[in-house]
Amino acid sequence: MEWLAALTAGGLAGIGMWLLLDRNLIRVVLGVAILGNAINLGVLASGRFAGSEAAFVTATTVPADPANALPQALVLTAIVIGFGLFAFALAVLKSVRESHGVTTTDRVTEITEEPAPDIEEVGLQIHQDDADHHHDAEEVRQ
Amino acid sequence: MLTAVFAIAFAALLAPPLARRFDDRAGWLLAAVPLMAFIWFVMQIPVIARGEVVTATLAWVPALGIDVAFRLDGLSLLFALLISGIGALIVLYAGAYLSDHHHLGRFYAYLLIFMMAMLGLVLADDLIAMFVFWELTSVASFLLISFQHEKAVSRRAALQALLITGGGGLALLAGLVLLGIAGEGWRFSEIDIDAVEASALYFGIMVLVLIGCFTKSAQVPFHLWLPNAMNAPTPVSAYLHSATMVKAGVYLLARLNPVMGGEQGWSDILIAFGATTAVVGAVLAIRQTDLKRLLAYTTVTVLGQLTMLIGTNTTYGLQAFVLYLLAHSLYKGALFMAVGAVDHSTGTRELSRLGGLLKIMPLTGAAVGLAAFSNAGLPPFFGFIAKEFAYAGLIQMGITGWIVTIAMIVTNALLLAAAGLVFIRTFLGPQGHYPREPHEVSVPMWLGPMLLAVAGFLLGAWHHWPETWLVNAAVQSVARGDVDVKLYLWGGITPALITSLITVALGVFFYRFRHQVRLQIARWRVFWGVSGDLIWDRFLKRVFEFAALTASAFQHGSLRLHLTLLSLVLSSVVFISLAIGGPALFTGGDYAALNTPAVIGSILALAGASAAAVMRGRLALVAALGASGLGLALFFLAANAPDVATTQLMVETLTVVFLAFVLRSMPAIPRVADEGAISRAAHILISVLFGLAVAGALLVVANVPLAGNIADWYVQNSYPGGKGGNVVNVILVDFRAFDTLGEIVVVALAGLAAASLLGGGQLAEMTRKGEPEFGSVLLRQAIRPLAGLLVLVSLVLLWRGHNLPGGGFIGGLVAAVGFILVVLTFGNYQARALMWVRPTLLVGAGIGCAVLAGVIGLLGGHDFLKGLWFFPLGLPLGTPLLFDVGVFLTVFGSMMNMMQRLAGRPV
Repeated sequence: MEWLAALTAGGLAGIGMWLLLDRNLIRVVLGVAILGNAINLGVLASGRFAGSEAAFVTATTVPADPANALPQALVLTAIVIGFGLFAFALAVLKSVRESHGVTTTDRVTEITEEPAPDIEEVGLQIHQDDADHHHDAEEVRQ
Repeated sequence: MLTAVFAIAFAALLAPPLARRFDDRAGWLLAAVPLMAFIWFVMQIPVIARGEVVTATLAWVPALGIDVAFRLDGLSLLFALLISGIGALIVLYAGAYLSDHHHLGRFYAYLLIFMMAMLGLVLADDLIAMFVFWELTSVASFLLISFQHEKAVSRRAALQALLITGGGGLALLAGLVLLGIAGEGWRFSEIDIDAVEASALYFGIMVLVLIGCFTKSAQVPFHLWLPNAMNAPTPVSAYLHSATMVKAGVYLLARLNPVMGGEQGWSDILIAFGATTAVVGAVLAIRQTDLKRLLAYTTVTVLGQLTMLIGTNTTYGLQAFVLYLLAHSLYKGALFMAVGAVDHSTGTRELSRLGGLLKIMPLTGAAVGLAAFSNAGLPPFFGFIAKEFAYAGLIQMGITGWIVTIAMIVTNALLLAAAGLVFIRTFLGPQGHYPREPHEVSVPMWLGPMLLAVAGFLLGAWHHWPETWLVNAAVQSVARGDVDVKLYLWGGITPALITSLITVALGVFFYRFRHQVRLQIARWRVFWGVSGDLIWDRFLKRVFEFAALTASAFQHGSLRLHLTLLSLVLSSVVFISLAIGGPALFTGGDYAALNTPAVIGSILALAGASAAAVMRGRLALVAALGASGLGLALFFLAANAPDVATTQLMVETLTVVFLAFVLRSMPAIPRVADEGAISRAAHILISVLFGLAVAGALLVVANVPLAGNIADWYVQNSYPGGKGGNVVNVILVDFRAFDTLGEIVVVALAGLAAASLLGGGQLAEMTRKGEPEFGSVLLRQAIRPLAGLLVLVSLVLLWRGHNLPGGGFIGGLVAAVGFILVVLTFGNYQARALMWVRPTLLVGAGIGCAVLAGVIGLLGGHDFLKGLWFFPLGLPLGTPLLFDVGVFLTVFGSMMNMMQRLAGRPV
């Protein structure tokens, strides 16, 4: 079991890294998910698969050969947190796409290092607001 | 002692509001605090003079053996008296000097913080505590020099001082740590002198400590920050940069002299650097026309002489050190304050414009006169005794001493000339031309210089008093053995007296022919061509260039290059360790037997992931990723981890839904082959290496027997300790609940961050008119009961999770899946009607429940998050259950929050 888990985790990690290295942001996000899975499996495997049954006890009995429960608890939360990260990555992907219209990593770097494209628009907006305020003030006076 | 330090720190806190409330009168209030400290220290004089020490200890980091341990001996007492006494006068003086400055309160605060740190520095017995105070003085000095921060010169000077003294501080820290290791003790009083001298670290300790002390005390070549620091307001120059802070380095040298002074190298270095500094300072001083800079360079000279005197290690030398330290603090503090008063009154500090001030400012003039006499080393002032002893100390040393003595005669003569410039040029002679109508300054401004100058006179004239009470004890703490102190003004015709006479004659000569002397000095072009400040600026520029180069090499902004570097380093670290360990690493493992579901799960996971890696169709991608996750869930199930498997299953379901929501608005994914063959090959290589490294590392781990029996402990204690049958759940909500609390906060934050990235504060519309995503009638009929069932199931899972598979995490995920089904089928409006609470509120309530569960434990008199159980009507209720409810709500709320944002379309 352990060597199978090690090879699977290694394979998933390799695929995850391959996706992370891709230029396309969608693949990068998938890479985050797959690499996360690989690491979860790795953590579980490092706790060994020694037990022959799941770790459940009752008030009176304790199983003779239970599985290691600690890495299971760690991985359980790690899965949920990993999903939180994945959702966050998706949110980044979506907002990058919506605000810049691009989905390649190198382009994103270029864009973020340029001055924000909406600065001038905001500037205009402020002037308009000022004008509006004047307008409002005049109206109030009248 | 502790009270004194804390009281001053407290006064620093109070200073800004007080200054706002009482303006410059706040100075009188604030000066009372150091004054009281001064009185306390004065009261300790008899105790210390008897040869006793006063100690006080406050545990600080007991685990590391670091205490704020204070120890008052002769040397500390001398410094403490100077710091608190001059400090009180300076606070008063500052109130008048900066009375119209709108940040006076801030200035008081910095000044008092410095005072606190400086007192701590000289009192601390603990090496580490001393270092912390040491650094604090550097920081306070930075703040004070840059007090007039609107001026670029001030900022530059402050930064220069901070970088030089801070850099020296780093060296000092290393030196002190080595000293603690070599001396087998972390107190100055407990260091084993013989062990240090025998230690192989001795040379390293010496160099590092010396760098720290030399930077702080402005020894050549680190002296250049001190004259620049004169950009600070005059009270700062008087207090920090002449009387106290710059003496910290000298203090530490003196403090360590008994420990380190056994080797000849220590003495040689101190004498060499000290003498050089003294000569350089004196020559530079006589060239200055700005009174303040002139005083700054004479301070450099004196610091050099003090360093040198420690190096002599002779009886007279060490006595001279203590005397000179005291004398210098008194007269230099007085001179600086007086020069500040002159500046304040006339508006200039230029020597050429000053003159004849004695008539207008008689009190300040008298103070300067007294101080200048002491500075010049003329009898019967204290400065004379100090100088006399210094010569005697040097002469005691034999031939080296004589050579240094000649250098000292010239230096002292130059100092005498400088003292003459300060007093005669400024206060006597014809009236100068002033930018402002000069006037005598207010009481707080002349009081300080007058008291200090008079003290210098009194201590000299009645020298039995300091001899008995102060100097003796201080010399004992500096010397390696017992020393008998006998001060005298007239010791007969000794070589020292003759040297003094030569000095005075030479000094008068220098003053008389000062213009020629200056001209002569100005001829040494080679010498002036080397400007320390220019070198410093070039050095800083190089540093910044280097920093920019390094940063751009590693912070290039390319995600792919970052990842490449990261994974290659990681892989090579693993491969190198594997190569070192050899094949033996992979044998000896006790593998569990394979089972069929695990094999199928692995194959599915790998196949799904590979498909996701190469396919282009968005739907196929989603399906492949889902299959990979399902395979993993199957593996978890086969590995006897049902809770993990369920979680993975639910998360995978949500992953597929979320991904589908986002991908539908994305453009088609280009083929992998578009990238070019070379980069593709490189990526394949990197990925394969990374995968092999991960697999290899895990295989090695699996071949090492599992250490300890934590797993057994959890199984044995799950029921007795946690009242639950599901060990995994008990670990999550009871044994390691604090971890879980942190983890649900992370989940909540991820959800909030994702939400704020998308659509700011408002909800994006799900679909344009809240229409369902799927139009199927069949689905619409079936989904409602199904979703209801799922929510019900989630509650059951939550309830039974403590004993059977389930729990807050799984329950929350199942409930989220149920709701998402409703959204998919009926659209946003329906879903919102069902979801009557905002998701963020749920998240808050969840974390609130979890924290409450912890606080109940606290209220019950136990630890935070201690599990407490009650059995009303036979129902097992307990804080772990409440905690699990918190987990449920947080996970559910976060998932709903993310879903609502991610599913929104751009409007």
